[in-house]
Amino acid sequence: MRYIFNFPDIGEGLDEGTIVEWYVSKGQQINSGDSLVKMETDKVVADIPSPKSGVIAAIYGKVGETIHVGNALVEIEIEGVSGAAAIEEAAPKEAVKEEGAGVVGTLEIAGNNAFLPASEEGTKENQSTTEKTTKKVLATPVARAVAKDLGVNINMVTGSGPAGRVMKEDVHAYLQKNGTSSPGRTVQQTVAEDRVELKPLTQLRKTIAKNMLQSKHNAAHMTVFDEVEVSELVRIREKYKEIFLKKEVKLSYLPFVLKATALALKKFKALNAQMDMENNQMIYKNYYNIGIAVDTEDGLIVPVIKDVDKLSILQIAQKINEISEKARKREVSMEDMKDGTFTITSFGSIGGQFAVPVINYPQAAILGIGRILKKPVVKGDAVVPGTIMPLSLSVDHRIVDGGETARFINQIMEYLSDPVSLIMD
Amino acid sequence: MQYDIVIIGSGPAGYVTAIRAGQLGLKTAIIEKDKIGGMCLNWGCIPSKSILESAKVFQKVKNDAASFGVTGFDKKNIGFDWKQSIKRTDGIVRKLGAGINFLFKKNGVELISGTAKIMSENSVLVDNRLLETKNILIATGSRQEKINAKLPEGLVVEIADLFRDREIPENIVVLGQNTVAVELAQFFNLIEKKVTLLVPGSNIMPLADSYVREYMKNLLTKSGVKIIYDVDDNLSGFQYKDGALVSKDMNIPCDFLLNSKMRKGTLPESDINLTIEDGFIKTDDDFTTNFPSVYAIGDVNGKSFYAHIASAEGLHVVNHIKGITEKIDLKKFPLNMYTVPEVAQIGETEDELKASGADYKVSEYSMFANGKAMIEGENTGFVRILSDTKYGEVLGVQIVASNATDMIAEAGAFMQVESTIYDIAKTVHAHPTISEVFMEAGIEGSK
Repeated sequence: MRYIFNFPDIGEGLDEGTIVEWYVSKGQQINSGDSLVKMETDKVVADIPSPKSGVIAAIYGKVGETIHVGNALVEIEIEGVSGAAAIEEAAPKEAVKEEGAGVVGTLEIAGNNAFLPASEEGTKENQSTTEKTTKKVLATPVARAVAKDLGVNINMVTGSGPAGRVMKEDVHAYLQKNGTSSPGRTVQQTVAEDRVELKPLTQLRKTIAKNMLQSKHNAAHMTVFDEVEVSELVRIREKYKEIFLKKEVKLSYLPFVLKATALALKKFKALNAQMDMENNQMIYKNYYNIGIAVDTEDGLIVPVIKDVDKLSILQIAQKINEISEKARKREVSMEDMKDGTFTITSFGSIGGQFAVPVINYPQAAILGIGRILKKPVVKGDAVVPGTIMPLSLSVDHRIVDGGETARFINQIMEYLSDPVSLIMD
Repeated sequence: MQYDIVIIGSGPAGYVTAIRAGQLGLKTAIIEKDKIGGMCLNWGCIPSKSILESAKVFQKVKNDAASFGVTGFDKKNIGFDWKQSIKRTDGIVRKLGAGINFLFKKNGVELISGTAKIMSENSVLVDNRLLETKNILIATGSRQEKINAKLPEGLVVEIADLFRDREIPENIVVLGQNTVAVELAQFFNLIEKKVTLLVPGSNIMPLADSYVREYMKNLLTKSGVKIIYDVDDNLSGFQYKDGALVSKDMNIPCDFLLNSKMRKGTLPESDINLTIEDGFIKTDDDFTTNFPSVYAIGDVNGKSFYAHIASAEGLHVVNHIKGITEKIDLKKFPLNMYTVPEVAQIGETEDELKASGADYKVSEYSMFANGKAMIEGENTGFVRILSDTKYGEVLGVQIVASNATDMIAEAGAFMQVESTIYDIAKTVHAHPTISEVFMEAGIEGSK
């Protein structure tokens, strides 16, 4: 039989995407899970996998064309579909709704986490935590359909049915009490239109908002500030900047901070951990994937540099260069943003000395790098000119204690004040 | 000593409430002036379905058995023994009554025989005993209004009086429009009496979906029941003459007039002024009367005349007393009609959906080609699912089938969890079963 695959909803609020590249052509045999097409939406470039195995019978849309969610992408000729499967096809909407792990569901989840990555694909511990965070709330099929239709997060609704099951009426009651979730509408009603500018939330902004709130709600934030004298680091960086430039690699201070952080994380495991409340356990990660917060025109994204502990300064610098280039071209993929274990935000490259960074939940900590500046420092008994790098470290106090936090930042400072030690351990 | 709850009446409203209250540790007394189990067990649901079953077996043996391959009997000798069917019925009633009595004892419910009088909102007098109680539950049921007409003595039979050793004459007239009237008309038709159904108003089975009603009207007429509409429920315009009810243009032979008129609440004697509306005790959605400590459930509050709804109301009241508040949705209870074939219905009817302007879809599937139904020789009927167009929510289900009253339970479960027609389509039903038709209707509606 013929299966028509429509462009799935790959994130709340998103309603269109642009075709970047077709991976398949008409007549081609494909397997379920194979990538069909690369789609660009807002800031994310995502590969759309095929939900079925079969032969591509038709392709809709050329590269550069915009496809709306729900419109056909491809038609797949599926062989040997039995009566039972045909029934399932008769109710595709329902199947998707119920599974949460189907094609669309997976994409939805990936979409939600794309900007502030949390999943560590391929690690055993993670599988359970991913399941937990997407655990189904008890709700009737109709309540789910209504919630989805009206854009209500069903997890927020209090159920009145048996065992707290969310019923259709509960969704309506929730909506009535909390109003439509768009504050724009309220503004529209109360303020003359020429005094404000109304702009729909982008998918990226929604994701940022959601993840920031999730972090503030769930993690017990605690922040420590310190200053490290980095004259030696400045000297080394100046020297290697020229050498690296010949290899067409721009060298900033960031690779040194990344390397110092990765090595410090190896010594202080709690900072590279995650708390799994559902199973009453800590998940200590033996890999060091550090996300770097990147400022783009559209908003914050956090691509991840993987296995930083195993990379040289040159390799780290290359990776940072690559990712910055991708970000500039709006080509950062979900793959690039997955599986971070710790995050660094170097707001100092724009300005500011200290900040209270928001943890990239469910990670345990985030390190903020302020603007490097000359300051008088005391050496022995003399006040001498020094070069200072301000550090702001936010930790989740549920996971990390104060002592551990201080020891961790001390370790980073040791590495940065004496960069040679980065290769001595 | 003070009771937590004193219940007046031990029908399906009262006894279910008493047992649950006892289970939850409430100090409970239940007062019954006649027989445990009330109308339903002694003179209603149970005996009427029991004699109907006898009549069905009679028909099956007489008209179908030979085609199934049963031999050795002469069709002409097959007869119906009313006495024996009543004897069998009595056995069933006794067993069930003993069962209730056992559950009372087991759950610490005190059964008091006598007639209750409500003295205050917290006290009930029975048999010269004054019971102090935190709550009073009135579950006294209902009975038919008498037919107010000049008729010879013994012609009118009240339903509560029917199930006893008696001669069943040839010409039966049933007065009423409700399901019970239809069921009893059909019973007498099945035992091969001449039956006329006099219907006050323009419709039989006013609660049924009009589609179902039309289907049943045809079926009744075809089987030989004569239906006359818009008859005055006190038979004004009729005279009884020479064994017949005679009016200007009608002559209806009548040896036996069964009263199945509209019911009115059986009100207990009371010193407090309960608000009464149209002959029923007025209650709010939690079945509280105008006195917060006095509840009224079952027929006596006029909300419904079904035993299972009365029981559900009682459980709701026990929760309410315990401080658990939940909404009770009377639309999610099945309405069963023990006709032949049976009719069962739950949720909204098509008439109601039309009136409310809802967007709905009808998915119907016939029993005609169902294997199991054919095997049983009962393949008339259908399953009809009304679902919402937008989300596919199951809004109502109607079933006409030999075992529709059992099949409707599945629809009830789907509606209880607010399921969609897609869920019905996806639920695998065993083959061969009659309930497959339900799935087929679901698939039909998912297209």
